[in-house]
Amino acid sequence: MTIMKMEETAVVWTLLQSDLRPIQDVLSEFNSKFTRSRYFPVCSSLSILLQARALVPLPLPSSVLDFVTDPMILRSTDRLIAFAIMHQCYSSHKPSLNPFISEMINAACNEQAERYERAFLLHLFQWNSYNNAKEILKLSGADYIKTFDPSTNEFPELGELQREYGNKADGPSSHMFADYALKKLLHDPDVPRGCDPNSPEFDVQVQPGGISKIGSGDRNEAVSGILGSLTMGGLAPRWIRPCPPRYPVHQSELLWIDPDNKHELVWDDKMCADTSRGATVRDLLIKGLKVTLSPTEQEDITTALANDPKLVYHCGITPRKLPQLVEHNPQIAVEILTKLINSPEIVDYFTALVSMEMSLHSMEVVNRLTTAVELPKEFIRMFITNCISSCENAKQQDKYMQNRLVRLVCVFLQSLIRNNIIDVKDLFIEVQAFCIDFSRVREAAGLFRLLKTLE
Amino acid sequence: MDSISSDAARDGSICDEAIVLSVTSALAKDALSYFQSGKFHECIDILIQLNHKKRNDPKVLHNIAIAEYFKNACSNSKKLLEDLNTVKKQSEEFAKEPLEAVNPGSNVSVSKHQFDSTITTLNIAVTWFHLHQYAKCLSILDPLFLNIEPLDETIALQICFLMLDSALACHDAVKFLEVFGHLDKSFGVGFGTHEEIGSTMQLSSNQVSKTSSLLSSSAASDALKSDLAAAESGLCEEGLEYDNVLAEIEAEKRMKPVGHIPANNLLKTIGERSILTVDVKLELQLYKVRFLLLTRNVKLAKREVKHAMNIAQKRDSSMALLLKSQLEYAHGNHRKAIKLLLVSGIQKELRTSGIFNNNLGCIYYQLGKYQAASVLFSKALRNCSSLRKDNPVKLFSLSQDKSLLITYNCGVLYLACGKPLLAAQCFQKASLVFCRQPLLWLRIAECCILALQKGLLEEGNTSSDRSEIRVHVIGKGKWRQLMMEENGFVELGGSAQWPKLSLPLARVCLSNSMYLLNVSLMNDYSKSDLESPLSVMINETKEASWSDHGDADTNSELKEAKGGMNQDIIQNSLSAYKDIRRRENHLLKQALLANMAYVELELENPIKALSAANSLLQLPDCSKIYVFLGHIYAAEALCLLNRPGEAGAHLSAYLLGQEDFKLPFAQEDFDPWRMNMSSDCEETSDCSTGNARDSLKPEEARGALFANLAALFATQGHYDQARPFIQHALALLPSNVQATITAVYIDLMVGRSEDAVARLKQCTRVSFVPGRLEVRAS
Repeated sequence: MTIMKMEETAVVWTLLQSDLRPIQDVLSEFNSKFTRSRYFPVCSSLSILLQARALVPLPLPSSVLDFVTDPMILRSTDRLIAFAIMHQCYSSHKPSLNPFISEMINAACNEQAERYERAFLLHLFQWNSYNNAKEILKLSGADYIKTFDPSTNEFPELGELQREYGNKADGPSSHMFADYALKKLLHDPDVPRGCDPNSPEFDVQVQPGGISKIGSGDRNEAVSGILGSLTMGGLAPRWIRPCPPRYPVHQSELLWIDPDNKHELVWDDKMCADTSRGATVRDLLIKGLKVTLSPTEQEDITTALANDPKLVYHCGITPRKLPQLVEHNPQIAVEILTKLINSPEIVDYFTALVSMEMSLHSMEVVNRLTTAVELPKEFIRMFITNCISSCENAKQQDKYMQNRLVRLVCVFLQSLIRNNIIDVKDLFIEVQAFCIDFSRVREAAGLFRLLKTLE
Repeated sequence: MDSISSDAARDGSICDEAIVLSVTSALAKDALSYFQSGKFHECIDILIQLNHKKRNDPKVLHNIAIAEYFKNACSNSKKLLEDLNTVKKQSEEFAKEPLEAVNPGSNVSVSKHQFDSTITTLNIAVTWFHLHQYAKCLSILDPLFLNIEPLDETIALQICFLMLDSALACHDAVKFLEVFGHLDKSFGVGFGTHEEIGSTMQLSSNQVSKTSSLLSSSAASDALKSDLAAAESGLCEEGLEYDNVLAEIEAEKRMKPVGHIPANNLLKTIGERSILTVDVKLELQLYKVRFLLLTRNVKLAKREVKHAMNIAQKRDSSMALLLKSQLEYAHGNHRKAIKLLLVSGIQKELRTSGIFNNNLGCIYYQLGKYQAASVLFSKALRNCSSLRKDNPVKLFSLSQDKSLLITYNCGVLYLACGKPLLAAQCFQKASLVFCRQPLLWLRIAECCILALQKGLLEEGNTSSDRSEIRVHVIGKGKWRQLMMEENGFVELGGSAQWPKLSLPLARVCLSNSMYLLNVSLMNDYSKSDLESPLSVMINETKEASWSDHGDADTNSELKEAKGGMNQDIIQNSLSAYKDIRRRENHLLKQALLANMAYVELELENPIKALSAANSLLQLPDCSKIYVFLGHIYAAEALCLLNRPGEAGAHLSAYLLGQEDFKLPFAQEDFDPWRMNMSSDCEETSDCSTGNARDSLKPEEARGALFANLAALFATQGHYDQARPFIQHALALLPSNVQATITAVYIDLMVGRSEDAVARLKQCTRVSFVPGRLEVRAS
């Protein structure tokens, strides 16, 4: 993207060439044609143009000094106007805020530059005795040069000016590549060095249709060419930035499609349906909560449950009702619990079983469950602990009942141990204490002996 | 006393209810038969009558919603979802009420039954499934699956199959296995005598313990290989065993009176491949193969597909053949895959011809025949759209529209062909399905980068495009709050129009991708956390176990001794797959960071570029290619931040002696990218060229190192040091623009402008443009 637009370069170029108009007029015309936002681009272009001759690298290496004798592209009056514009654009700020201050300072201190140009810049800066900028600007560029007193020789050192006006910041560039950027304008080495482009020799009019003479050229063309094609930034060493490779396409990334099962919307056929599914079983079970069912009734329930594997989930036996069923119909309870073993609610049923009052039936249910399904260890442990404590609590009540319960527990425990349902080690101390407590009961003594043999 | 009188009262009401019931159930039957014969208007009329009789019965409302949907030719899925969700909410509320009101003696399960929302939930999930929202579908079905035991078999099967398909679509092998395990178990021996149940219980607890032991060993892929080798020897019998079990289920089913399977009448009439007519045995076997394909266990899949073929022999074997074709495709036997695809005969049916073309397109892509693939994909898309237009009503199912999946394939193809704009369009369309997949976002970012390289990006990104932080202004007045948001997931697409390709878009896509990747990694992590603390430990000490071959071997022996179960193999596949996924995610992360660094450099944001490059370099086990890119990007970012010393350190990592660079990576380093190909892939060369075609060459990378070090020296004024490096660079990269410019710069700085111009004249990529003066000479 070039810095300046086509129209702008034409305007700037005419302004620069108005060497016979008072500089002030030129400046006010500049003000009228450019808005503030365009100042920077225009001044940037001017700054490059001012340095354009052959090659002017910014950090000036000593080896290029021999080029300095090459003629400037801008004529002396053009240069004055250019400097005036660059100064005026930022005159409302402190000089140090002028982005082009360092260029101007460098020019003002350049020993090789014309004295009138250096003096002109110092006037713009209002350096010490150089204070009649107003007067000078009323002159035209040509007049100023004509009237310049060549005896002026009080020029400041570079350092002095820099201290006074210089800006500490490094200018608009932000990183090292830009800092070290070269101005991109390069003298074409094919043009012989030292040839004076102002020599009239070249300014022969080209006949229409004729061949132009080698070496002929138009300075106007060069300047507006430069102005028109300047871009921001300079020529800097360039970094190679390899593009990351594309993430590899694995063959599974391409989507191989299988026709999937037709997943259809489902009609709810339970709508207004007979909800009596398993009603007889439900009724029987409600009855079974209160009385022991007859063998035929029990068989009815068993077959119904076997025929419909999901019926058990709808038969109305909740964990809360389980203890009643266990008391009256332990076999049915076992049946139901084994069928519910995969249910997520089975834990609740186990909890109900553990927390119900100990009885022959509850132990029978657990015992039969242990042979039918794998029960959680924690559950069996809790159940046993519960059994033992029930026996102890029964002390206060009925001696006969207590003995009976103890015998039951002992048989239950022996059965569990013999069937390898529990690991004795887990409960050894508890069970041993229990046996010792009730050593008067024959079964307890038997259990104790069994424990000893296992030890 | 109270209870007796209330019982009596209930008896009376039951009498009344019975009459109402007979009327309504007759109406319900009529409604169903109209529904089945496709007379939706009549069906809805009856349903409305029913709704008058039974105010707000959720089941009636549910069926109205379904019938309405079909009446409108399955066009308004959104309304269906809204209706179903309302019904679901309603029935859940009803289900709560009677529980509170009813006294403990009454039978709760009846009312529970009436307000059961299982079917509604299932239908919601089905709808989401057809809208390609597979993850959503899974999450909706999850609660049903947790409590699947009490459900009727048909419904349970339907839920499970839907979950299996969704899990496959989500590449969620863990979820798949969870459901598959349940199917395998419960539809096998779930209802038998006590002894059987006991044995299954033990079996499953065995499985659990084995699973954990497996997980502990599976982190090492080497161990896995030996496991597989060991497992294979025992496989034949296992396969038979599996067969036997399935045969038993079948036999058992046949023996049972039909009436005991609560028949969902609708399903019977749907025909074709609906659940009831589906041969569960074959279906499970096919799913098993699909799982093995998903987990890229090609060898086992090959065996299992043979079983599937055996089972399918007397029935429809097209699905098995199709899977076999996919298997050969995955295996790299493309010719064979084509043959099987043709034999499967799915191209003959209108419904599946699109699928045929798509799959054939995949094969041709892998063969590197992009032109043919492109023709096939567009043909597949045409098939799909004609299917959509043709007869939505007659097709008694939701549209089986696969076009978005095919569109994704098109995107991959266009990207490979270097057509970023078209590719991006495809990916953006496909984002409806894949927006939670990190890879999709990387692909879109790659489209942006490719477009940048091709000069297809529009200039002039406004500064607001470039801003990375959004501040949402929430509330008004004194309540006004500002919410900062950075690096979250940026919702793109949806209803809003997609932005044009640009570098800021690339940045957003990369950050989305990274976000999703991190989320998924975190999920994996926490999931394994729940599974067993052991597996987490393994993840952490992955490197240790990688080198620990000895341990793994003993583990496999142990398993062999146990007599490797069918489940073992599956778990093995799963953990191998997890391993593959881990490596893929790792590679994806590297790619994302490299791309981020690149994009940030392009956006002139060296700080972010540096941080991305540094994160890339800090990743353990990075591919050499990405390490190189990390160094190069970090060095450039450091230069832009005026830290040449550190930049130099990044570059000199590759220095050999004083003046030479080694190759930063070898061509073979592209190999790990193909790691996922099965080792004995027969036509690998075809697919690999596709990947490596436009990637960075090692010599070019070396040239870039030379050129960049030269540039670094030049900026520091060490022209003499820079010169030999830039000479090397130009020898390697004769027409590289950047290297040429650096060389010109150096020439100019040492005062050889003739050399500089000569160099410019030599470089093929310089053009001397005549001044533009003539144009505006006036």
